Amino acid sequence: MTREELRIGVFVCSCGSNIASVIDPAEVAAYARTLPGVVTARTNLYMCGDPGQNAIKDEIAAFKLNRVVVAACSVRMHEPTFRNCVAEAGLNPFFMELANIREQDTWVHAHEPERALLKAKEIVAAAVAKVSYVAPLTPLTVPVTKAAMVIGGGVAGISAALDLGDMGITTYLVEKEQSIGGTMAQLNKTFPTMDCSI
Amino acid sequence: MVDAARHPKVEILAYSEVERVDGYIGNFRVGINRKPWYVIHDRCTGCGDCAPVCPIEIPNSFEIGIAPRKAIDVPHGQAVPLKYAIDMDHCIQCYKCVTACGSRAAIDFSQQAEYVELDVGSIVVATGFDSFDPTVIPEYGYGVYPNVITAMELERLDNSAGPTAGRLIRPSDGREPRSMAIVQCVGSRDRRFNEYCSGFCCMYAIKNAILMKQMIPSMEITIFYMDIRTPAKGYEEFYNRAREMGIRFIHGRPSQITQDPATGNLFVEAEDQELSQVLELETELVVLSSAAIPRADAGDVSSKLTLSRSPGGFFMEYHPKLRPVDSPTDGVFLAGAAQGPKDIPASVAQGSAAASRAARVLSSDTWEIEPIIARVDENVCVSAKGTKCGLCVSACPYTAISCVTGEPAMITSAKCHGCGGCVAECPHSAISQDHFTDAQIVAQLRAILADKPEEKIVAFMCHWCSYGGADMAGTSHFEYPADSRGIRVMCSARMDQDFVLEAYRRGAGMVLLSGCHPQDCHYITGQRVAAKRFDRLLQAVERLGISPERTRVEWISASEGDKYARVITEMSETLKRLPREQILAENRGAREAIERRLRRWKASPQMAELMASTAGDLPGGEELGS
Repeated sequence: MTREELRIGVFVCSCGSNIASVIDPAEVAAYARTLPGVVTARTNLYMCGDPGQNAIKDEIAAFKLNRVVVAACSVRMHEPTFRNCVAEAGLNPFFMELANIREQDTWVHAHEPERALLKAKEIVAAAVAKVSYVAPLTPLTVPVTKAAMVIGGGVAGISAALDLGDMGITTYLVEKEQSIGGTMAQLNKTFPTMDCSI
Repeated sequence: MVDAARHPKVEILAYSEVERVDGYIGNFRVGINRKPWYVIHDRCTGCGDCAPVCPIEIPNSFEIGIAPRKAIDVPHGQAVPLKYAIDMDHCIQCYKCVTACGSRAAIDFSQQAEYVELDVGSIVVATGFDSFDPTVIPEYGYGVYPNVITAMELERLDNSAGPTAGRLIRPSDGREPRSMAIVQCVGSRDRRFNEYCSGFCCMYAIKNAILMKQMIPSMEITIFYMDIRTPAKGYEEFYNRAREMGIRFIHGRPSQITQDPATGNLFVEAEDQELSQVLELETELVVLSSAAIPRADAGDVSSKLTLSRSPGGFFMEYHPKLRPVDSPTDGVFLAGAAQGPKDIPASVAQGSAAASRAARVLSSDTWEIEPIIARVDENVCVSAKGTKCGLCVSACPYTAISCVTGEPAMITSAKCHGCGGCVAECPHSAISQDHFTDAQIVAQLRAILADKPEEKIVAFMCHWCSYGGADMAGTSHFEYPADSRGIRVMCSARMDQDFVLEAYRRGAGMVLLSGCHPQDCHYITGQRVAAKRFDRLLQAVERLGISPERTRVEWISASEGDKYARVITEMSETLKRLPREQILAENRGAREAIERRLRRWKASPQMAELMASTAGDLPGGEELGS
């Protein structure tokens, strides 16, 4: 795909006041519109909420977007959310790039808003750049071995193993000591009910 | 305990340790070392005829060493499985147990350790906690004064199944104590040892006090506390009940415990903060509420399962609020005190939660994983042209690559985990990584360094750890100067020397290469591949005339938000200290040599486009390699 064919939409989240109390998302969106390949840039109070996700889907349809950048929180937080969102609108889920302007910007630069704004713009520019060179990918489907292992036979491990077993799952409960029971088995009566621990 | 043993779907592997874990979500292969019992389980009836004839007595760790066990024994009468085992470190092979066992013939001295491999789709880690050893607090005299004991020792001494059959005695004279003082926060909420609150000690101290009071109503019981924490349902009422029973609570952490050598009684010195009064209390028994601490082998378990550890050393959850039982490794979940100090109700609840999360993975026949894998360009790979190479093979932690001279290197996609180590190691750029291609990284560098690059710190972060650390700085609101611009890759092994050179070619002020600590690496040895490369890289960059303080390598775990903030702060300070002219001059001086080294990147069409400078995006405006 050549650069001319790129149609990128940028969606800047306010995250309530988490982002918007430090920087103006509209300024980030305005800057994003100047970036090569970007055809639209919008803001929303909560990009991850239904209105935010619907806005992304609507813009994908209205502007025939083929790439999406969401400037919001960490990939560890909402990458799956927005991948699903663009996939529902017909895009390859990997054509969405998340620009982390919350954990790695407004939350750590609350006292220098101007430089936080500059950083947000450049984080968005980098995400736009990255998504411009992305190739479509298909998730790998792997088989699942229908068995579970619980490491540690204390009260937590026993509880997990029993629940897994009750769900019909073959469960291996691995215990280092000669007996399961862990610390709990050493206790006399237990609070607050004062019943025995075994 | 017994329910687990009787459950048809639960198989207990006791006396067994996880040796190694391979694979990924839905497809783990766990190697387990099964220690020899020297007793054949099918034949052992648990009758116990063997133990009384055994002449060897050794400390029983289940009884905290208060009572002995035999070299052939069970840890306690309710053990599950109720099977005897021989401690071969202490057995003198007198064979008296063999005689006692008689025709059951359950004892087998020829048993060997067994290594088994089990395939599972998901794993729950519930390895529990250890108790803090109070001997390191000299002022409390534990280990010196016999009548200073720990709460766990008290548990065994007042337990009807314990060594005294539930009759509380004091160790010095075997007499029932008439008074008892319980000391809270021993090894916790103490910056010398552990900053965290151990969570459940308030409740078990109150429980022990109530139990003792019920057993010996005349006993004078005093609890020395810093704060009484009763946050769960029914707990405050439980505390009130203890006070109504006449148990005395004194707000003050004891500063010193001394002993009267004649009586074995103890003097507890403390300040009663409510009354602003220094007091000295004479008591017959002192019980220390030792903190819960991470298991001694937590580091080992963490490496085998690529978990992260929180600042206190307990296993770290993926997200403290939203994914509290997920570990950072997909398909591995956390339960109980291994994740942080927890009482029984919370441990049971978390066990159920982890079971539910683990079952979610197993609820369908297949699972979708990210297709971020490496691919070889057969036209570029020098091995195909008959050159002996194979650098990619040695960089791969998963033996996913084979390379026969005369043929291009071959990557088995199913075995590739997508660390990108081979991609960065290939000196010919013949391997690329989906979603983290050279072009995508260079495109980000171009965007980040378009304006005033000499004022920027380019921060390369690995997905699992240092990016998580940067997030943790965010969620903790640890502020640092806004000079850094992050580029995320999956593993520090993906951080190509060329990325750093390209950053300086584009005029960057500083570069940070950050990844996990070696034991935390999600790609087994990815971090080590990176660390080795970075050693060479730092020298190479310095040889190009770039001051060494401008390139920094840091290992930052997902829990080390404070470290991430500190590293960027320090780098920002360095950047401010360095004269701008010096940075510009160094970058100018290095550019020609860097361009020579990066010339081969231009072979690919996308890279040619990216590398070519236009007035807008490259300061200086010269064409690469011209």
